[in-house]
Amino acid sequence: AAGAPKPLPSSGPKSLREMPHPLATSSSEEMGPAFTPSPDPLLPRGIADKDLSLPNGTPVDTSSPASSSSLLNRLQLDDDLDGETRDLFVTVDDPKKHVCTMETYITYRVTTKTTRAEFDLPEYSVRRRYQDFDWLRNKLEESQPTHLIPPLPEKFVVKGVVDRFSEEFVETRRKALDKFLKRITDHPVLSFNEHFNVFLTAKDLNAYKKQGMALLSKMGESVKYVTGGYKLRSRPLEFAAIGEYLDTFSLKLGTIDRIAQRIIKEQLEYLVELREYGPVYSTWGGLEVELSEPLEGVSACIGNCCTALEELSEDMTEEFLPVLREYLLYSESMKNVLKKRDQVQAEYEAKLEAVALKKEDRPKVPTDVEKCQDRVECFNADLKADMERWQNNKRQDFRQLLMGMADKNIQYYEKCLTAWESIIPLLQDKPETK
Amino acid sequence: MEDCLAKKMEITVSEAEKRTGRNAMNMQETYTAYLIETRAVEPQSEGQCAPVDSLWRRYSEFELLRTYLSVTYPHIVVPPLPEKRADFVWHKLSADNMDPDFVERRRIGLENFLLRVASHPVLCQDKIFYSFLTQEGGWREMVNETGFQIKADSRLKALNATFRVKNPDKRFTELKHYSDELQSVISHLLRVRARVADRLYGVYKVHGNYGRVFSEWSAIEKEMGDGLQSAGHHMDVYAASIDDILEEEEHYADQLKEYLFYAEALRAVCRKHELMQYDLEMAAQDLTSKKQQCEELATGTVRTFSLKGMTSKLFGQETPEQRETKVKILEEQIQEGEEQLKSKNLESRDFVKSAWADIERFKEQKNHDLKEALISYAVMQISMCKKGIQVWTNAKECFSKM
Repeated sequence: AAGAPKPLPSSGPKSLREMPHPLATSSSEEMGPAFTPSPDPLLPRGIADKDLSLPNGTPVDTSSPASSSSLLNRLQLDDDLDGETRDLFVTVDDPKKHVCTMETYITYRVTTKTTRAEFDLPEYSVRRRYQDFDWLRNKLEESQPTHLIPPLPEKFVVKGVVDRFSEEFVETRRKALDKFLKRITDHPVLSFNEHFNVFLTAKDLNAYKKQGMALLSKMGESVKYVTGGYKLRSRPLEFAAIGEYLDTFSLKLGTIDRIAQRIIKEQLEYLVELREYGPVYSTWGGLEVELSEPLEGVSACIGNCCTALEELSEDMTEEFLPVLREYLLYSESMKNVLKKRDQVQAEYEAKLEAVALKKEDRPKVPTDVEKCQDRVECFNADLKADMERWQNNKRQDFRQLLMGMADKNIQYYEKCLTAWESIIPLLQDKPETK
Repeated sequence: MEDCLAKKMEITVSEAEKRTGRNAMNMQETYTAYLIETRAVEPQSEGQCAPVDSLWRRYSEFELLRTYLSVTYPHIVVPPLPEKRADFVWHKLSADNMDPDFVERRRIGLENFLLRVASHPVLCQDKIFYSFLTQEGGWREMVNETGFQIKADSRLKALNATFRVKNPDKRFTELKHYSDELQSVISHLLRVRARVADRLYGVYKVHGNYGRVFSEWSAIEKEMGDGLQSAGHHMDVYAASIDDILEEEEHYADQLKEYLFYAEALRAVCRKHELMQYDLEMAAQDLTSKKQQCEELATGTVRTFSLKGMTSKLFGQETPEQRETKVKILEEQIQEGEEQLKSKNLESRDFVKSAWADIERFKEQKNHDLKEALISYAVMQISMCKKGIQVWTNAKECFSKM
């Protein structure tokens, strides 16, 4: 990659081929010590299966608000983005409870490992709480309105119904937050967002939050799209199709969520009865002489099945349901992005119409209408790219989720099978042979 | 030891049929008749099979047979009949006597009853039982002619009446206590098992909903569609599998029920002993008091206070002749009483001996049968687990192709 032009530090993603090798001598740019991150076993390997070919679009002026997507268009990511070519790894773990006079809350450790030039150091470790993640998400939505931002787990939990500090709740949330950051990390545009960078690196995030507006301009932050006032006549077919798909998808997911909850409920009721059932065999065993051991054996066996069932229900509650809910939130986010896109297109069409009505001699299209056209095209490109990525992720995630569900059920039956098989010899035992 | 009937004869209750007829009050009624088929098990010349005899009997006739056997052989733990009305049902099972599943299970239960009786060393030799199997007409009359109702001790039916028995055989007291506990624990077990079955049914059936929603979802997907669709099919299979599983489990429940009712039969034998012992003690008591009276009259001394003694004091002594007559009557009664007591004693000892022999036989049978039942239950559970593993493995494979 010798001779490649040195890109500005914060101008967005670079082609991998354009990136100077960490060990290459560079005159002005300071690179940290060579660091090839080993594939983090905690990170999903699903990325390797992703098809990340992006639609080729015409390159647009880098000063335009949509610079991120124009660079995206130039970018050709490898099909096999495995651990070796990836250059940013983020993990959320180690939840800790903080008790202060005003409030009690949980913080999570956010660890970053990277070779990217945008980061001063190769490794970072900071502590963040939920409201920090929420802040990050809002900032991303503001600064990257053409992109789909991954969802966060729900902010408010009904007090009294859920224990915010229980191990299960905290763990479920941790996993969701981890997923949230990993999805941003995997995104070719969002992962280069400055707010994301600060979130991962700043010792004092609150100070940065207060700075707020000052840094907005540097990134080529787009002007906030004015919503309202423009109504789209008709959504283009492909986006209408996406909208319809999302509507049906949400419906089906909702149904699956209800079914899963119902199953858990029925399982728990079954468990209640089993818990009474097992001990009756034991009571009976107390009455008998020769049958005493076999009956005790059956009682113990049923007890083992109870434990296995408990584990299955717990797994489903803690691992299955949250992912369903997350995808429902994701659908909602995507629908909102679609609406924003509609707004942008509506604005463009309105302005275009206004120009056409003026009937000036000069066929030249005014610049602001041109800019609108750019915005529409870039938004469409971003959205399509994100949708494709989302579809892929969704397929991966659901494949993993449903296989996991099948696995848990298989494990449950295997545990019960072992229990029952082990008492057959006990039941067949003749007293004389003992 | 004579070969029991079961070895000489094949007995089956092969069919059940709904019938209508008129009852004793000339009202129309619907009942089920059962076909009993018998065939001699004999070495036959090649190619020849013994002819099958058959006749129809209804449940009330089975009841009559059993009552007859219980009265005639009070020292035997008489095999119980299957339940008259469906008990311990979980929601899917019908409590209706006319329900085909109930009728079918009853048919099996009745066959089991006949086989139990036919393989009992004592009961199988009974002529009434043999006629029940082979003689179509006039069987009821034959039974009534034996006059067994007269022998029936009505006190046996008064389950809760207590008789103060001073010296019961401790083994019977313990056994009665055991049979009460056994009844209680098996009832509890059957009740909870029915609830467990109900809940398990619910769990399986809800999974069927996945089938439908996966199918609907697959319609809007491209790559995921096939995997989802076929996984949904496996969820339907899973949901449907519970019906057969629970039907099989009903057989296990029936095996437990048999011993629930057997506990009743066991209790009846203990009760019989109690009553015999009571009669014996009463007879002995009566004899003692008569002897005492006799002595008092003979010697003229009144050792114990008696109203008779007082009244004779108040209203004048008896004449020597009167006294002598009395003594003579008493002496006769005493002699009778002593003979009776002797025979009662013998009867009682015989009863205890033969009853205990049958109880030992019963205990062995019970231990063997219940062990078998538990093994078959475990096997059923194993089969259910294996089916579950199979279905979810298939589903997992479909998901992996998404």
